[in-house]
Amino acid sequence: MTLAPPAISFQDVAQVFATKSGPLTALGGVNLEVAQHEFVAVLGPSGCGKSTLLRLTSGLMMPSAGQITVLGLPVTRPREDVGIVFQQPTLLPWASVEENVVFPVKHTKGRVGPAHRDRAREILETVGLGGFGKRLPGELSGGMQQRVGIARALFLNPDLLMMDEPFSALDALTRDEMGYELLRLWQASPKTVMFITHSIPEAVLLADRVLVMSERPGRVIADLKVPLGRPRSEESLRAPEVQEFAAHLRSLLIKPAKPSPKPEAA
Amino acid sequence: MRLRHLRDRSLALGCLVGVWMASAQIAGPTVVPGPFATLDALCRMAGQAAYWASIAQSLRVFAMAFGLAALLAIPCGIGFALVPRLGRAMEPFVFALAATPRVAFVPLLIVLLGLGDPAKVALVFLGASIPILLNTWAGVRHADPDLVEMARAVGVSRWQRVAWVILPAALPMMVTGLRLGATIGLINTVVAELYTAIGGLGGLLARYGASFRMAEYMAIVVTLSVVGVVISSGLYHLEKFVKHRME
Ligand SMILES: Nc1ncnc2c1ncn2[C@@H]1O[C@H](COP(=O)(O)OP(=O)(O)O)[C@@H](O)[C@H]1O
Ligand SMILES: [Mg+2]
Repeated sequence: MTLAPPAISFQDVAQVFATKSGPLTALGGVNLEVAQHEFVAVLGPSGCGKSTLLRLTSGLMMPSAGQITVLGLPVTRPREDVGIVFQQPTLLPWASVEENVVFPVKHTKGRVGPAHRDRAREILETVGLGGFGKRLPGELSGGMQQRVGIARALFLNPDLLMMDEPFSALDALTRDEMGYELLRLWQASPKTVMFITHSIPEAVLLADRVLVMSERPGRVIADLKVPLGRPRSEESLRAPEVQEFAAHLRSLLIKPAKPSPKPEAA
Repeated sequence: MRLRHLRDRSLALGCLVGVWMASAQIAGPTVVPGPFATLDALCRMAGQAAYWASIAQSLRVFAMAFGLAALLAIPCGIGFALVPRLGRAMEPFVFALAATPRVAFVPLLIVLLGLGDPAKVALVFLGASIPILLNTWAGVRHADPDLVEMARAVGVSRWQRVAWVILPAALPMMVTGLRLGATIGLINTVVAELYTAIGGLGGLLARYGASFRMAEYMAIVVTLSVVGVVISSGLYHLEKFVKHRME
């Protein structure tokens, strides 16, 4: 019997950037594995290399060291079966919502057929934007724009969905709403998701597993299973063991104040 | 709302005409012709084919040079931005040219190309191309990197990214460059015609100025201002439309 390969696997992955002030180690030896159909949240302080992790997985850049495989194959370039949702909606402001959703096929396959149009309308319906296809992104609210970004990522029905702090640019209320929306979407069709966030409640609500990263150079310092079954809802978060789990995550993220490295000279 | 604007503007126009009339009074109508004398001269000239031929001649020089500038400066700007090494190599020279008053080239151009249209077209081209080049360059260079990365992430090839993401994103800046280039080009058209003192509205300006026919001279000034306003407000509206549509 052959086991299904993990959706994502990192082996000793390091990423060093050349900057003006010398080499900058963004990721220092990351090991992780994400199983297929698993929802994994990556939690970490800002600047710890979360976006770098996502770019590496998506094939937007190559690691300085280490091995990355996606669905059993080494990553060499962006692949069609990986959808990405960015922190910003990143929509073409001159193209209608529907044109933005079909963008991944429009300039790769050269032609957008009626089946693609139907799929675009269907996926827009799914994210709650039925009837908005002809609008321009500028006419939509921030939350709706981000839904278009999600629709575009889901358009080709990817096996793997990468989300880089997708709701962090939204106001708190919209943000919660989008979290529940994503939960509903995922429960309707569970696919592998790597969800980057720095919101603990978001990670707990959505993920099966939470990877906690250290400050730069980023490493995985904790790999924790969320003590929650499915389906989940708003109430799930109130359970005492969930509260305790969240508190534990917080303690991992917020370190006790370090002694100042250089005492002030009198 | 619009009515109020119209009223305010009429008031402002009234004031300006008042100042004009006052200066005509003070300086004497042989030096500064008043608005009525100017209008009178304008009407007289409008009945003559030579006046319209001069306008056509100026516009032809302008259009040829402006078209040439757009045709060359836009691809150069795109190239300099897409090939940063090329851009870095060219940057100091483009900025040096931008900082040199283009009038300084007039004697050289006249020696090289004579007093005819080629010298004028060359001067207008030098003026118009710089803002088109610089704005295209900046627009392409600053095309939203997030959008470009998104396109890369969904597998769009480099040239397709240029065509469908980078160039559309740079379009508003290009149109701004065209508008600024047109404004400078119009100025340079008249400057070139004044220096060569042959043909076009600038040529008429030189002729009437030298022979102290100040009413006709003023009428040409008014004509130039009308032509300038029509062309730059046309491009201004195009720019507004493109910005609204693309951003
Ligand atoms: N292309 C790059 N060139 C140089 N430094 C970079 C580049 N991308 C990211 N970095 C640096 O790497 C570190 C991690 O960045 P990032 O992955 O964006 O962090 P996060 O998403 O966790 O906030 C930061 O210090 C950032 O400045
Ligand atoms: Mg980030």
